[in-house]
Amino acid sequence: MLAAADQTRQRLATSLRLPSGLRPALAVAAAVQVSTAAYGIASQTAAGLAVALVGVAVFLGVAALTLSQFRRINGVRVDGLASQIVLGTGAMSTMFYVGAFAAATWAAFDSLWWLVVAAAIAGGAGYAFGVVRWWQAYRHDPAVNAGGASPRVLAALALIACLGLVALLMAG
Amino acid sequence: MAELDPLIHAPARLQVLTTLSAVSEAEFATLRNALEVSDSVLSKHISALADAGYVQTRKGVQAGRRTTWIGLTGSGRKALRDHVAALRRMIDLVVD
Repeated sequence: MLAAADQTRQRLATSLRLPSGLRPALAVAAAVQVSTAAYGIASQTAAGLAVALVGVAVFLGVAALTLSQFRRINGVRVDGLASQIVLGTGAMSTMFYVGAFAAATWAAFDSLWWLVVAAAIAGGAGYAFGVVRWWQAYRHDPAVNAGGASPRVLAALALIACLGLVALLMAG
Repeated sequence: MAELDPLIHAPARLQVLTTLSAVSEAEFATLRNALEVSDSVLSKHISALADAGYVQTRKGVQAGRRTTWIGLTGSGRKALRDHVAALRRMIDLVVD
């Protein structure tokens, strides 16, 4: 009885598919967000603030589209995946994002724009790779990895992130 | 000590809760296909589980058509965990 229930759960988990193009789309979106935020923080101008907010909007738009596609093609919602995509809660995604953000911001203050772009690309690629790694872990043990922040919590956190970015730039 | 829960002792209901533990919400048709049961059978099980507060349902739209989304509640998750623990304990007793 337990084995049959486990098999059904595993069958559902292994039948789920990530939307095609998720990895490049997420990598580009994260790279855009990192580079625009670095530019905005370093420029300390209204235009810089606008660029940084556009970067956040691009990232959140891609994340929302990706999650919507996932739900449409699979007929399920997995909050763990949403947390990975929107918040980068996995260790690898966090490490790549924080490292890239720090390097890009430092480079932007020194006007080393090639380094801003390089750091953003590396961060975006690492971020997307972290999500794919999490996906493999989820398929191996769905019950342990399915949980995460609900859509409402994610929306609230996205709003807080935008307000925090505005406050950071206004304070500077 | 957790005991067997008669409401989810039926294999089909145990399968429903176990399968839902892999996701946050599942569309009715997705769950029906995973369990390989008919609409009416799944509806009956979902109604019983919803009455007990083990699952929650909401109406939504999937691919342009109205559908029902089903998710495990906190008490449903706890009931499943307790029931599985009780089953495993029974199996251990038999094996020992």
